[in-house]
Amino acid sequence: MSFLAPIFLAGAAAAALPIVLHLLKREPETRVRFAAVHLLKHAPVEHTEKRHLRELLLLALRIAALALLAMAFARPFLPGSAVGASGAVTVIALDTSSSLSAPGVFDRARQLAKDAIGHASAGDLVGVVTFADTAEIAARPGTDRVLATDAIDHAAVGFGATRYRAALSAAALGIGDRPGTIVVVTDLQENGWDAGDRVSVSERTKIAVVDVGAPPPNLAVVGIRAQADRVVATVHNSGDRAREARVRLSIDDRPSGETSASVGPNQSADVALALPQRGEVAAVAVDDPTGIQADNVRYLVIGGRTKPSVLVVTGSGDLSREAFYVQQALGAGSTPTTGYQPVSATGAQVSTTSGDALAAHAAVVVLSTRGLERHGREALAAYVRGGGGVIVAAGPDIDAEVIADVLGGTSALQMVPPSDARRESRTLAPADVRHPIFQPFAGNAGSLGLVTFRQAAKVGGSGCQPLARFTTGDAALVECPAGDGRALVIASDLDNRWNDFPLHATFVPFLHEMVRYVATARAHAAEYLVADAPAGVRGAPGIAMLSGGTGGAPSRKIAINVDPRESDATRMSAEDFQSAVTHLKETADAKSRVQAREQEDRQHLWQFLLAAMVLTLAGEGVLASRTA
Amino acid sequence: MPWAAADRPFLDPAVIARLGTLELKARTIVEGFLTGLHRSPFKGFSVEFAEYRQYMPGDDLSTIDWKVYARSDRYYVKKFEEETNLECHLLMDVSGSMAYGSHHGMSKFEYGACLAASLGYLMNRQRDSVGLTAFDEDVVAMLPASSRPGHLRALLVTLERLRTAHRTNVAKPLHQLADMMTKRGLVVLISDLLDDPAEIIRGLKHFQFRGIDVIVFHVLDPDEIDFPFERATRFEDLETSEEVMAVPGAVRDHYVKQMGDLIERYRRELGASGIDYQLLNTKHPLELALLSYLSTRARAL
Repeated sequence: MSFLAPIFLAGAAAAALPIVLHLLKREPETRVRFAAVHLLKHAPVEHTEKRHLRELLLLALRIAALALLAMAFARPFLPGSAVGASGAVTVIALDTSSSLSAPGVFDRARQLAKDAIGHASAGDLVGVVTFADTAEIAARPGTDRVLATDAIDHAAVGFGATRYRAALSAAALGIGDRPGTIVVVTDLQENGWDAGDRVSVSERTKIAVVDVGAPPPNLAVVGIRAQADRVVATVHNSGDRAREARVRLSIDDRPSGETSASVGPNQSADVALALPQRGEVAAVAVDDPTGIQADNVRYLVIGGRTKPSVLVVTGSGDLSREAFYVQQALGAGSTPTTGYQPVSATGAQVSTTSGDALAAHAAVVVLSTRGLERHGREALAAYVRGGGGVIVAAGPDIDAEVIADVLGGTSALQMVPPSDARRESRTLAPADVRHPIFQPFAGNAGSLGLVTFRQAAKVGGSGCQPLARFTTGDAALVECPAGDGRALVIASDLDNRWNDFPLHATFVPFLHEMVRYVATARAHAAEYLVADAPAGVRGAPGIAMLSGGTGGAPSRKIAINVDPRESDATRMSAEDFQSAVTHLKETADAKSRVQAREQEDRQHLWQFLLAAMVLTLAGEGVLASRTA
Repeated sequence: MPWAAADRPFLDPAVIARLGTLELKARTIVEGFLTGLHRSPFKGFSVEFAEYRQYMPGDDLSTIDWKVYARSDRYYVKKFEEETNLECHLLMDVSGSMAYGSHHGMSKFEYGACLAASLGYLMNRQRDSVGLTAFDEDVVAMLPASSRPGHLRALLVTLERLRTAHRTNVAKPLHQLADMMTKRGLVVLISDLLDDPAEIIRGLKHFQFRGIDVIVFHVLDPDEIDFPFERATRFEDLETSEEVMAVPGAVRDHYVKQMGDLIERYRRELGASGIDYQLLNTKHPLELALLSYLSTRARAL
C-alpha cells in the first residue's frame, strides 16, 4: 500500500498517546490482603484476567482508531490495483469523414481499427474515438474490448471534413495522464491539418497511424453558383486519368437538365446548365458510383447569398478606393462559403436605410461618419441596441461625437483624434490573449506586434473595456457594450494610412475575428458547410429551412454542402502526420504523482478507513462503558 | 444507679494495642472495667453467705439455721452464693483471615487475643476454671481449663505464642471440643466467622446439645463492615491468596449487603438457639465484650 500524503502518517504517532498517558499517569497498583474476599467474588465485578483482557482490547481499539484516522488522511492506495494491469491506454481514433464514403473504404477502415484493438497490449485499456469535424468518444477506455469492437461496428461514415486536431485532442483526453497509444485509422488526407495546426500530447503518448489507403478516383461537385440564367457547377476529377463527367441539374427536386463534360486528371471544370425561370432550390449531381459518394451532389438556394454580409460605411461608398483592404480582407475565404460579403454604403445612405435592412447585415464597419445624419445615427444605435455589432476604425474620417451618439450614453466613449505633430511609432499587444478575438493568435501572438501604428486616436470610456493596448500604454482596441449589442473601436484606421496593418498577414484573420465577435447570432448566409450548419439544422447535405428566430425575421431556406476540401485526394505521409504532433515532456515525479493521484481517486480507500475508524470507535464506546 | 456502657470511659483499642504484654493489656482492661462497676450485681460472687429466708415447706432441712431457731424460735434457712466452679473454654480462631487489621488499629487476631486474655484474667480472678483452644482448620494449641492462680500465666504465654497462618475450618474444632467436654460450662468463641455459616452454627449447636453455654464474639475489622476502599484495588485473600480486582464504588453496596446478611444470619440463628452472639468491631472498646460475657455468665449461674 502506498500513500498520497504520507506526511499525515506522522499523525499515527498519536496512537502512542494513550500508552504514554497511561504510563505517565500510572499509579502503583493498590493491593490489599483482605479477609472477606469470598464475599467479593460474587459481586458484579470482573476478575483480574478478564478485566486485563478488556483493557488491552480497549487500548488496542483506541490505538487502531487513531492509526486509521492518520492512514485515512494519508490517502492510501494500492499501486498494483489499477483497472488495467499495465495502466496503459490504447485509443483507436477512427476517421469517419466523408472522404471515406467511397464503396468499401470505410469497411476497410473498420477492419483496420478492429485489428488495432487486437494488437493492443494485453493489459491496456482500450477506447474508441470517431472523428470528422469534431470527435466523439464512442467507447471510453476500459478493459472490455468487446465494447470497443462494438463501438467500431456501430460507427458510420458521415459528411464531415477531416480534422486531426479534434481527433487527437479527444483521444489525448481519454488517455489522460496515463501512458498510452493513439492509433489513428485514416486515409491521411493532407487537408486534415489546417495551416499551422499543431497538437500537443504527453511524452508518454505514442501516435500510431494506420493508413486506410488512397481513395479511389473520384468525381466531385465542389462548387455551384447561379449566374443570370444558368447554374454553373465546378466538377473536380481527382483521378489520374481524364473522365467524362455526367452532370445533372435538379430544380426544386425535379430534373431540369443534364450534360456531360470531360474533366482532365486532377483538374476541375466548370459545367453550365440552363436555369429555368422559376425555382428556388437547385441541386447538381455527378455520376460517380466508385468514388466518394458524399461529394457527388451539391445544393444551392437560388438568389440566396452565400456569405454573411458586412455593411462597410465610407465617405463616398467606393470600397475599392476608400476601403480596399477591408473589402479584400472581408471577402477572403478558403471556400466559397467562408468569409464575408462586404456591402458598401455612404453615411447618407445609412441615414435613409430602414432598420430591417440594417438587421440583414452581420455587422457594420464604420470607416467614415461623413454624411451620417441624425436618422442614420439613430438607425445604427437601434441596430446595436438590438444585438447588432459595429466596428469603428478611429481613422481620419471619424467624428468622435457621431460615434458617441451611435453608442449611446452608457458607453461614454471618448475619442481624441491624434495631432499631426505627434507621430510616434507603436505596436499593439493584447490585454488578454484568451479573448475570443486574440485566441486564434494565442500560439503566435507576437505576430501582432509586427504591425506598426504611426498615428492613433485616444479612445476610451468608463463603459468601455480595453482589449489591446499600444506599447505607449494607450488603448488600441476597446469594446463598448450598448444594449444587446456591442461595438469594437480600434484606435487607428484600417486603410494603410496611419499604420501598416493591412500589409500584414494577421490583418485578415484579425478583421474576421472582430466581425465574428460582434456579429449577431442571426445567420446571414444561404449556404453552409456541414460543420458550420446553424443550430437546429441537421449536419447533412441538403436543403434545410432556417427559422427566423425570435426577432421576427422570416424563415428561409439554406443549403448544406460537404466541405469541398474533402474531395481533394492529396495525401500526406505518416511522418508528415507525426510532425504536427508535439510531445510534451513530463518529469518522472510529476508522472508518478499524477498516477498515484489517479489511483487514489479511483480506489477511495480513505473512505473505508474512516468507516473502519467509526466502527472501531463505536466498539470502543461499548467496551469502555462496560469496563467503566 | 444503673450503669450505661455508653457513659463509661472505655479504653480505646488503639491505646490498648500500644501496651507491652498481653498480661498488662488484660489487667488494664479488667481492672479498669471492674473499678467502674460501682453497684455491680456481681459483687461478692465468691463462696460466702448471702441471706436468711423464712423456711417454706419443701426447703431442704439441712439448710435450716438451728442457732437462729434457738434464739428466735423461728425457722430460717441460710442462703449461700452458689459455688463458682464454672469451667470456661476460650476458643480462639488463629486462621489467616484473623490477621487482617486496619492501619490504625489492632488486627482481628490482636483484638481477639486481647479479649481472650482479658476474659482469662477476669475468670481467673473470680476463680473460674479457664482453658484455651486455638484453631485454624485444626486445633493448633490447647490449654485445659484450670482455676489455679498460676494458670493465668500459662494462658497468657500460650496466647502470646499464637500466630495466624492457615485456612479456617471453624466447625471441625468445635465438634472436637464439644465431644471432649465432659462438664457443663461455658464456651467462648472468638472468631471472624468467615467460613461456612451453616457449619459453624451446627458446631455451636453441638455445645448447646451438651448443655454448654456458648458466647460468640464475632470479631470484624471496620474495613470488613464498611468497605471504605476508594481506588480500584486488587484484593488478595489472606488464606487462599486468590485475587479479585474490584472497583470499590461498584461493589460496595453488594459487599456491605453480603456482610450484613452474614451478620444478621448469625445473629438470628444463634439467638434462636440461645447462643449469645456479640459482634465486635475492632475499633470499639474491649470492655463491651466483657460486659457481654458477664451478663451471659450471670444467666448461666
